[in-house]
Amino acid sequence: MIPTLALVQVQNPHWRGFRCWVPLIMLWLPLLLLSPLILLVLLMACMVGRVNPLRAITTFWGILWSLPGTHVHVRSQENQVLVRIL
Amino acid sequence: MNESRKQILEMLAAGKINADEAERLIVALEPGNGSGAATANAGNGSKEPKARAKYLRVQVEADESTTGLKGGMTTVNVRVPMQLLRAGVRLASLIPQQAHDNLDHALSSHGVPLTLSQIKPENLEELIDHLDDLKVDVDGKDGNTTKVRVFCE
Repeated sequence: MIPTLALVQVQNPHWRGFRCWVPLIMLWLPLLLLSPLILLVLLMACMVGRVNPLRAITTFWGILWSLPGTHVHVRSQENQVLVRIL
Repeated sequence: MNESRKQILEMLAAGKINADEAERLIVALEPGNGSGAATANAGNGSKEPKARAKYLRVQVEADESTTGLKGGMTTVNVRVPMQLLRAGVRLASLIPQQAHDNLDHALSSHGVPLTLSQIKPENLEELIDHLDDLKVDVDGKDGNTTKVRVFCE
């Protein structure tokens, strides 16, 4: 399923870090409204690049669908960055 | 105690193998895994399918000498769904055909005799399927405490 929520956490010793939940669903709604324009741009790009537009759409959709479960955690000295896509 | 397992534990105690290697050897000796599976499963019609790995994990621990950053170890922990890898390799199929020749030429000029047009999506799928058995353990030497682990879970 498409990612609906993301957790972003940043910690830094020099300033107060933050931890916030990002409702990705709020991004998909405007994208849905802009989808005709996005599709038009994508079709033009596929025509220029001589790429099958259907294959391009299914590939990017597959990537988007597979994002949930991705975790990235980087810690260095006292700095820490955590990104989780749920 | 099983004689083979006892030998593995003795090797571990003597420091000839590490804990990960001992675990792999013990798992390989268990019925249903590795060479022991052939005779164990001969009279047994049912066999539990191996659970497919869901995530690819990359763990890196680097010390100051490697990163150049003062203040201790730097750790990177990345977990990527296997499904994302499968979807990502399909991006290669989006490369226009006219770009393949340029890429092949560039690769061969750098000593990589690879022909992109000969790589099929099913080959990449098979490659990702076999990533289930991938395990990479890299430990630094000569005082370097850098560690890299790549495995599937």
